[in-house]
Amino acid sequence: MASPLLRTRALSKLPLHIKWVCSNISTSAVRHADPSIKNDVALLNPGETDISPVTGIPEDFVKERRVRIYEPAKNCMQSGTNNIGHWQMEFDTKERWENPLMGWCSTGDPLSNMNVEFSTKEEAIEFCEKNGWQYYIHESKLQKKFKPKSYGINFAWNKRTRVSTNYILEQYLAQYLRQGQVRFLAKN
Amino acid sequence: MAFGSDRSRFTDIDFSGKRAVEDKDIGPLVKTIMTRCIHCTRCIRFASEVAGVDDLGTTGRGNDMQVGTYVEKMFMSELSGNIIDLCPVGALTSKPYSFTARPWEIRKIDSIDVLDAIGSNIIVSTRTGEVMRIVPRVNEEINEEWLADKSRFAYDGLKRQRLVTPMIRDCNGELKPVDWEAALLTVAKVVKGAGSSIGAIAGGLADAEVLVAVKDLLNKLGSEALCTEHTFPLDGSGTDLRSSYLLNNKIVGAEEADLILLVGTNPRFEAPLLNSRLRKAWVHNELNVAVIGPKVDLRYPYEHLGDNPEILQNILCEEHVFSNKWKSAKKPLLIIGSDTLERPDGAAILAAAQSLAAKTCPEKSWKVLNILHKIASQTKFGEGNLKVLLLLGADDCSINKSDLPKDCFVIYQGHHGDYGASIADAILPGAAYTEKQATYVNTEGRAQETLVAVSPPGRAREDWKIIRALSEIVGTKLPYDNLNEIRDRLDQVAPHLTKYGYAEEANYFKQAEQLAKKTQAKLDSSAPIDVKIKELQDYFMTDSISRASPTMAKCVQAVLKQKQSKY
Repeated sequence: MASPLLRTRALSKLPLHIKWVCSNISTSAVRHADPSIKNDVALLNPGETDISPVTGIPEDFVKERRVRIYEPAKNCMQSGTNNIGHWQMEFDTKERWENPLMGWCSTGDPLSNMNVEFSTKEEAIEFCEKNGWQYYIHESKLQKKFKPKSYGINFAWNKRTRVSTNYILEQYLAQYLRQGQVRFLAKN
Repeated sequence: MAFGSDRSRFTDIDFSGKRAVEDKDIGPLVKTIMTRCIHCTRCIRFASEVAGVDDLGTTGRGNDMQVGTYVEKMFMSELSGNIIDLCPVGALTSKPYSFTARPWEIRKIDSIDVLDAIGSNIIVSTRTGEVMRIVPRVNEEINEEWLADKSRFAYDGLKRQRLVTPMIRDCNGELKPVDWEAALLTVAKVVKGAGSSIGAIAGGLADAEVLVAVKDLLNKLGSEALCTEHTFPLDGSGTDLRSSYLLNNKIVGAEEADLILLVGTNPRFEAPLLNSRLRKAWVHNELNVAVIGPKVDLRYPYEHLGDNPEILQNILCEEHVFSNKWKSAKKPLLIIGSDTLERPDGAAILAAAQSLAAKTCPEKSWKVLNILHKIASQTKFGEGNLKVLLLLGADDCSINKSDLPKDCFVIYQGHHGDYGASIADAILPGAAYTEKQATYVNTEGRAQETLVAVSPPGRAREDWKIIRALSEIVGTKLPYDNLNEIRDRLDQVAPHLTKYGYAEEANYFKQAEQLAKKTQAKLDSSAPIDVKIKELQDYFMTDSISRASPTMAKCVQAVLKQKQSKY
């Protein structure tokens, strides 16, 4: 049976009276008599209370799972950065197995397919707290230190940045540099 | 015909067919599909600028241009897998991974690599309880966007030689599979009988959780005999002060140095990504490198000072030519390999290094003394008449059955049937690093955690849970039942172990140096400083996972074959 509260969660941003208008449209006959709904406060202050008793997620899924809140890193095969810079949450991995009939992947964990993005860490924390999940935060330092680059150094005659496929020449140059003979080399 | 013809305007006037390029064989790791190549030369630039191996180049011009190795040879680099990530068109792909999975079938789990001491961040791709591939994850403080070949390709070792069920050695001397109940009851009986004469040796792949659990169990039984397989000098401050066993200046810090003295280490194969940083500093930052130890190929020139440990003392007393350079350097670094400290005179070497570091006074936040480890979890904690010995993934042949008392009962807990399992009387199958959420500390002292990517095979279980279960049967129950509780215990023991991703600064350099002066050990000039991994073929198989990996075996074969070739 669909709980009306599930619907009101999606409408939680609306003013209170609109919520009741919406739920009155429901065709469910047993709505008001549902004894499992005790947490009426969830309706009034969504954000602050634990809505896990009414979300329909099995209790052990709520209690035992750990949520990791993290900032996804850049894909190191691509240079695009438009798909990062947000926070994400994921549940701990449960066992998966190969379906004996078709060879497909099987899982008993619907939460593993949940992919929610948040613009800040705090939003993610609030969402987890609201749902009663244990969470932990993985901070990562993805910022790259800016380094000025110049094309000219590829052709510098006295720097190791010189691009040359002749490694031996490069080694000799380094050796001369170490011995302080570079001046001599340059004159000739 | 308002929009023109629906046929191509291209006519093949020579009837020569489309351009096609022959595939190149550049080794067992990288597969080439050269028709796709657009000659962007990123692989060539990576090879010559980052890896420092000028094996790749172009031949021909115009339509005849080809990227390749000129003659058919292997791409001889320990960072070769990175050119797969670099290639924009898929002309270079992963040979072991090709056609094994589709991207939409796999799940990606962020994790940490433990096959070297750098602790590279990785993404483990899995499908139905099987690790399909490992790719790097960007972390600018550790691995940037690179990954070393062993970390990237040794994953097929996770499927072979696994211990999947508990085993007990029967009266005929054969290991027989049993169920957990029988195994734990047998082991608990022996442990109970041994009382306080129980010891444990932890190998390089043990995580912090299991180390703490084992230490707690041993202490409860009245024993203090937990040691790591790779020893560390205990004279002076020993392992009490973190500054004397960490890469104190951090991996990023190595880039800023202007003079580095490497003592008994080959960073190219012990920590390939640190070496790529050193090479970067050598190219862009005019870094000079000097080496005490054997002459090895680091892919950048260095000054070889010799392999006598006394040289360190000579530099300290300013009797060596090098000491002038050392004194004039603004940001000098001293990097000592952990192998060197395992020598009998390791304490003396460490003391000399600490004095040398203390003598140089660069700016305040700069840390001269650095220790480079080879394995993931070594940065941690003798043996007498033992009755029970617990090996926690100790596979490096550090213990011989003949060294132990005859009636000593050896328990092996680990994930691979390697050396440790072969001498064991009881085997408790544990989980590998892709199968548990566990804490590992890298060589800079940065705690990071692996995440569960797949579940452990067969009856194998997470390591700390096995110890927890055993403790209950023995009658000395450990007070933690879930991950949060054992993490609280870790936090109690050492708070930096649960600050994930953060490297706590090490301190007390002066105090460590003063304590080290008290050491009685003398430098042994008769034994030259050596490193174990000298050449590329030694790099691929160094631990129980990579030893079980067929890809790594192929790499060793390919390198040996290439060495025979005249090119």
